Amino acid sequence: MLDLVPYINTHQGISLVELSEVFEVSTEQMINDLTTLWMCGLPGYTPLELMDLDFESGYVSISNAPTLAKPRSITHEEGVALVLGLDVLRSAIPNQRDDLIDAIESLSTRITELVNLPLALTASSDLSPEVTKLVKEAISQRSGLKISYHSLYKDEISARVVLPLEVLENDGYLYLHAYCSTAKDFRHFRIDRIQSAETAEVEKPSTASPEKPEKLRFEVRVVRPTRDVAERFAESHLDAGTVFKGSSFSQQWISRSVFASGGAVELLTPAVIRSEIARRAKTILNRYQR
Amino acid sequence: MFFQDADAQQRVHTVSRKSERLINLTIALLATKRFITKSEIFKTIEGYEGNAESKERMFERDKDDLRSLGIEIEVGSFDPFFNDEAGYRIKQERYQLDLGDITPLEISLLSLAAQAWQGASLDDAAQRVLVKLSSLGIAVDEQNLPDTFPFFSESGIDLPVITRAIAEHQILEFTYRNYDLSEEVRRIVPIGLSTRSTFWYFTGVDQGIEEIRTFRFDRVIGSFAVKKGPKDFETPENFDSKEVFDGQMNLQAVVDIRHGKGRSLRALASSTESKGEWDQVQIPILDMRTLASLILWHGEDVYVHSPIELRESIIESLKELVSVHG
Repeated sequence: MLDLVPYINTHQGISLVELSEVFEVSTEQMINDLTTLWMCGLPGYTPLELMDLDFESGYVSISNAPTLAKPRSITHEEGVALVLGLDVLRSAIPNQRDDLIDAIESLSTRITELVNLPLALTASSDLSPEVTKLVKEAISQRSGLKISYHSLYKDEISARVVLPLEVLENDGYLYLHAYCSTAKDFRHFRIDRIQSAETAEVEKPSTASPEKPEKLRFEVRVVRPTRDVAERFAESHLDAGTVFKGSSFSQQWISRSVFASGGAVELLTPAVIRSEIARRAKTILNRYQR
Repeated sequence: MFFQDADAQQRVHTVSRKSERLINLTIALLATKRFITKSEIFKTIEGYEGNAESKERMFERDKDDLRSLGIEIEVGSFDPFFNDEAGYRIKQERYQLDLGDITPLEISLLSLAAQAWQGASLDDAAQRVLVKLSSLGIAVDEQNLPDTFPFFSESGIDLPVITRAIAEHQILEFTYRNYDLSEEVRRIVPIGLSTRSTFWYFTGVDQGIEEIRTFRFDRVIGSFAVKKGPKDFETPENFDSKEVFDGQMNLQAVVDIRHGKGRSLRALASSTESKGEWDQVQIPILDMRTLASLILWHGEDVYVHSPIELRESIIESLKELVSVHG
């Protein structure tokens, strides 16, 4: 409620509805709060010492509240939010914007001193500032983009022409939801994997139903339980000998994941991938033993 | 306004009486230059009722409530020659938001920084800051803002617990999932907090082994217990939280990567030299196991020269892969 006074003070005549939205309370609650405030002031509590609040008409204004007129200082928690937020912002700013980087440095120092924060708070963004800028523009102008996209499973970069629709967050990553004219379907692209982008002509989404890729089932036996295996296959209860099943759209993902586990798991099925793993591991090993 | 029943009405009434008293107390303590005593407070501020003991209890609770809102109450005596009743006041400078001269561009940058928390751990705190910034009544400058989407991933952990422990050198006790999936209780004095590629990390001095270690939040099982820290704790002088993830000072691995391949490994490289079909790349080693696993992921597109431990571990893993699948 203390934060209400400075806000109304700089937003005189704000509607009751809008004010309730800013403070995320119901209008009934807001009327209760304003009624309480209305009774407050300096000791003596004569009309001279009380705040003057006017909210009868559905619009709120305030006067005679000099002691509470300025917003409250920021708390430790709010300071942490700002300092980390500024750091992630800085990492996403193109190098040529020195003005912004200087402003961020200065703000960060001032907040750190104001709330006495530890200095060792860092955050960084994996997103390319140029790519983000183009994606944002393409969405607002409904124009197409030609992107070079790194596919993690294939470890290949492919050029695709897409019509960007929106940016979504899922599981800590930002995705671009777009119509891909290469795949003739709607796809999600992780923005941090878009290597570069340029504006391009794009065809309208086709209505023909695209081919859906089929999921591959696989079966794995745990040889040596490790945290790496648990996290990679998202399996929480692992013991030596545990057998679990999974599925993936990508054959590459299955064989690379088994490789990366370095003998801690045994791929039981599909047999084709299993024998391919054995053959490839032998070939690589030969190179080291030459 | 009408209420469902008398109980609800009574409750609302009590709540608003209490907030009214807290606001009046804040205003009075803010407006005064000198310290005002408890008896003055009880006499002049509306809402302190009942016998001496219950007033006293009310006042103690009110002070705690204001402190938990982040409002600092100064305690002192207004007459230095008489060691009598303590007095109270709130300093305007400490109460009010003061970031010096602040420009419209700076306000806009702070708002963008706060918005990065949407849907993540500190969303509520960030929302409160936005209201405060807006209350300064300074115009915003959105023209000059960068086109970025700064955002945080949910940490799943109460971040201020960590930052407070860093500031006050407290000990954090927690159960951590080790590489071999065993669970171990660790006691550390945290010295840094970071986020990289959607994971949250904290670094601290492990009290068991007296060494700096970094932990990933999602590998912590359960919650943190905060304990009083060692009296003479000092943050290690050479600690730089950026170095934890940049590792330029660490041992470098020398590997060959096939041309046009291994993008995720190349992203970690400190130097790259082209040798035709292959590129020779140096990668700082932050964690031997993580790097080995990433190298194996890339199969025949990567070849390790040094260090010897990394080379041996890759050879060992390949032998195992062959014997398991052969």
